[in-house]
Order: sequence, then C-alpha cells, then structure tokens
Amino acid sequence: MNTRIALTLALMIPATLAFADDRSSAQTALLAASCANCHGTDGKLAGAIPAIASRPATALESQLLDFKHDEQTRATVMPRIAKGYSDEELKALAQYFSNIDAASKQR
Amino acid sequence: MTNKSIKNQGLTSSRRDLLKLMGAASALPLLGACSSLGGSKELSARVVVVGGGFGGATAAKYLKRSAPQLDVTLIEPNKVFYTCPFSNLVLAGMRSMDSISHNYDELRALGVRVIHTTAQDVDPVSRTVSLGDGGSVRYEKLLLSPGIDIRWNAIEGYDQAAAEHAPHAWKAGDQTRLLRRQIEAMDDGGVFVLTAPANPFRCPPGPYERASLVAHYLSQHKPRSKVLILDAKDNFSKQGLFMQGWNEVHGDRIEWVGLSGDGKVTRVDAQKREVETEFGTIHKASVLNVVPPQKAGFIADRAGVTNESGWVPVDPMTFESTQVNDIYVVGDATLAAPMPKSGFAANAQGKVAAAAIIASLEGQRPLEPSWANTCYSLINPEYGISVAAVYKIQEGLISETSGGVSATDASATVRKLEAEYAVGWYNAISQDTWGTRR
Ligand SMILES: Cc1cc2nc3c(=O)[nH]c(=O)nc-3n(C[C@H](O)[C@H](O)[C@H](O)COP(=O)(O)OP(=O)(O)OC[C@H]3O[C@@H](n4cnc5c(N)ncnc54)[C@H](O)[C@@H]3O)c2cc1C
Repeated sequence: MNTRIALTLALMIPATLAFADDRSSAQTALLAASCANCHGTDGKLAGAIPAIASRPATALESQLLDFKHDEQTRATVMPRIAKGYSDEELKALAQYFSNIDAASKQR
Repeated sequence: MTNKSIKNQGLTSSRRDLLKLMGAASALPLLGACSSLGGSKELSARVVVVGGGFGGATAAKYLKRSAPQLDVTLIEPNKVFYTCPFSNLVLAGMRSMDSISHNYDELRALGVRVIHTTAQDVDPVSRTVSLGDGGSVRYEKLLLSPGIDIRWNAIEGYDQAAAEHAPHAWKAGDQTRLLRRQIEAMDDGGVFVLTAPANPFRCPPGPYERASLVAHYLSQHKPRSKVLILDAKDNFSKQGLFMQGWNEVHGDRIEWVGLSGDGKVTRVDAQKREVETEFGTIHKASVLNVVPPQKAGFIADRAGVTNESGWVPVDPMTFESTQVNDIYVVGDATLAAPMPKSGFAANAQGKVAAAAIIASLEGQRPLEPSWANTCYSLINPEYGISVAAVYKIQEGLISETSGGVSATDASATVRKLEAEYAVGWYNAISQDTWGTRR
C-alpha cells in the first residue's frame, strides 16, 4: 500500500471514532454555555461572582451537588439553578470547566 | 516515473499532512477545551446576523469561535451599544452612560464582519438582506435579534413626538439621557409617574426596578417627591419581594395602582404631562415615563416571521422561525414563554441558535438545548432581589425545570450579596456578549 494512503487511513480512524465524542462534548459545551452569563465566557471571569474554569472537577461537582441539595449556606441563586440539572449533567459540567485553561487568552 | 520516486513523493506529502495534523493537535488543549458548539474546522458558509444587542452579538461570537471558517456578518446600525440593563442605575445617578456602553472591537478581533447600517428588508427566496447603506448581503442562514419596537399610538396620544416629552427610555441611549435630565430637573415635591404595560413586554421586572431606583434618588435629592406606578395588569414579576422591599426601604414614597384599581392608562397628553386611565381618572405628572406596549423589531415583519401577535413564533429546539426556513430569531422578538424577555435569555437563546445553525449546516440533528435565566433587580444600591430558572424541552415545549425568587425572609447580608452579584452578572454578561471588560 502507498505509504501516504496508509498514513491517511491510520489518521482517519481516530477521527471517525472521535465523531460521537465530538457530539457529546459539543452537547456539554452547549449545556455549559449558560454558565457564562454570570461566570464569563468559558467560566473564566473572576469578580463578585467567582471564576469556575480550571478548578478541580471533584470540588466543583461537590459544590454543585451541595447547592442542589440546599447544603450551602449563604447561597443565593445557585440552589434554584442547580436543581434544574441531573447529577450526571452537574458532573459533566464540573468536568468541563475543570478542563478549561483559565490562563488561555481565547476570547 | 519509477516506483521509488512515487514513494518518495508520497512520503513527502504525507509527512507534510502529518505535520499539519500534529500542529492542529498541539493546538487542541487550548482550542479544544473551550466552548465549541460543534462546528468542524472546515465548515464554511455565510451566516448573517441582524442586531448587535444581547442575542445577536452573542450568536455572532459563538458561531465564530465554534466554527472559525464561517463567514459571519453582523448588521447593527449603532457603533456604540447602550444596555438597558443598568440603565435604571444611570437614571438614579449611580452610573454613567459610558459605564453601560459597549462596542464591536472584540467581535471584529474574533473575525466577525461588522457592518454599521440597518437591515431594511429580507427576501427569503433569494436569501438576501437589503441594507440601509444601499448594499445587500446574501446568506445561507440568517439570524435576527432585533429586539423590540414600540407600538406607537397603542395608547392614544403616545407617538414618536410624544416620546420627546414623555420618554419611554425602554431602549437605552438618548431616551435614557432625556429621562435622566428630566428627573434631575424635577422640583422637590414633584411626582414621577411611570405607566407599565400589560404582558408580554421587555424585562418584566424592569418598571418596578426603575420605580425603586428613582425613589432611591428622590429620597436623597428631592425628599418630598413621590413615585406613582399606573399598571395595566394586576400582578407583576417578583411582586411580593418588590412590595416588601418598598415597605422596608421606601416607605410610602412608591405607590402602585394595578388594573383593578383603575391603573390602566388609555390616553397620554405628553405636552401637559398628563395621563387618563380606563375609567377617566386624570393624573398629572412632573416627570412622565411611559413604558408603552411593544412588538418585535420591524425587520421581523419584513422577513415574514411574525404572527398576528406581532411577535415571532419559533421552533423551541433551534429557534428557527416556524414560518420561514433558514431564518432563526432570538431574544425579545420571540414568543419563548415561559422564558422572559431578558438580556440573559436573549444571550442563552443566541447560543442555542448558533449551535443549531452549525448542526444544520453540517447536516446533523440539533443538540438538545437548555437555557438559564437570572434577573436581578435593585431596590436600592445595597438591596438586591432575583428570579432564576433553568429551562429545557419537555414534550416539545420550553419548560421550567427549576427556579424561583429570592427568599422572602432573607437577611440584609443576603440582600447586599445579591446587589453585588447583580454587578458581577452585568460584568460577566457584557464580557460574554461583546467581549467588553469593565
Ligand atoms: C430598564 C430595563 C432594564 C433591564 N434590565 C435587565 C436586566 O437586569 N437583566 C436582563 O437580563 N435583561 C434586562 N433588560 C432586558 C434586556 O434589555 C432585553 O431583554 C435585551 O436587550 C434583549 O436582547 P435582544 O437581542 O432581543 O435585543 P437588543 O439587546 O435590544 O438588541 C437589538 C439590536 O438590534 C438592532 N436592530 C434592530 N433592528 C435592526 C435592523 N433592522 N437592522 C440592524 N440592526 C437592528 C438594534 O439597534 C439593537 O442594537 C432590561 C430592559 C430594560 C428596558
């Protein structure tokens, strides 16, 4: 086989496998897009409302679950919001924001 | 040609491909981990966005960052956009106009083509938008976020000329400046009259936050003055919390008259600053602020996407018009209840529509949408209240899956925290929509 074709084929396999993955990560990105309205694009804006990008996934997840189950004192809107998502969705959101590089300059 | 040379050629070009791919892969940690709503690198098509407010600017940004090869053109007449959110703070002298202004530099830097003119007409057959500057642009997908237009003369006597004497200030900019000047010039002891419309209208808690903050200004500068709200309905957003806050903070400075108390204004005499209600009561104002009935921005009519209500019905999955293919509409112009007509909702809808446009261009099913909303209102600079909700599709309709308003028994500390979060929200949504940092 021509090396070029072989290489191209080899490189295409992960791309095909990645398709379902891409769709589920786009799905999580859409779910996460709502968070940006208060936490900035990609959850990177720090201010009165804290940034959420780059924080450990476990910490984010347990905080979201605490909001959901009214176990956070001094909470305001987050308990009302967290109840709108399943535990799996909250986990995916925590994972998503923990993977964002808070220092990247992307707009 | 010998076998050897073919092989060599192959190697060379595959090596080049490999390097290109490796280059792309090494960029992944940076680009791959941000909110790409599904566009592939190669996706190229012309998408035109009309309106650079909360819905349109957000959609243009998220289209471009998800699918950088898309040709995204934003049509917006104003070089500077003034937000309605926090314009009530300008009226109360708590903020400058400059602090609620945003421009399009960051969107341009992202690669969005911004044209400062008005979209005059849409031809869905030739897929062309004609522009106020005489030009035109073609589209494969069109997204409209034109906000509201005022229904002039829906209240007798309230037309464009009347708005120069009795401002609505329901679109921010010169109207905000005019109303601010009138409030400042008002005599101590004068009455600020605000007339509120029936549902649906832009920003359900907006009139009541405005009454609160004007009352706050009056308490400091014109302590003998009052605020009178004449309302065309009997219930309003966060009513319990507003009334509690008024009681606690503003005493009897604010008076609210609902529909059954003869609050519905049917005639305005802007020159005399006088209004008449349904049952003939005449109220005289020192400053008259008419929040009039509204409809979708006129370009929605031109595109044929409005129905008899004057608003735009959309497919909740995608925010594509149910009447015209390939035209997506978001924001205040749409019928998207139970979502309110808020900047937050317009932004969230802009992202859902951007994802749906990308999916459709790629020949895929739309992603499962979800939206959130939080509307903060200030009773005074240290007293904030909020309503928040999450929305998903249930049985084909937009439904609230969770939500509610601030606790009625919240402490002063929590009220203050919500006032601080209101500022945090404003900064975040401005950054997320226009890229502006304040
Ligand atoms: C006093 C007040 C307070 C508010 N406070 C809040 C708040 O605290 N939180 C919140 O979430 N929301 C708030 N809102 C509501 C918020 O302002 C609107 O919901 C939001 O602006 C809707 O976004 P949009 O994209 O639909 O319209 P807009 O943001 O109004 O954007 C529409 C844009 O389209 C442009 N346009 C219109 N027609 C054309 C055309 N033919 N061609 C080209 N461009 C065109 C306009 O110039 C404008 O820039 C408030 C509103 C008011 C009045």
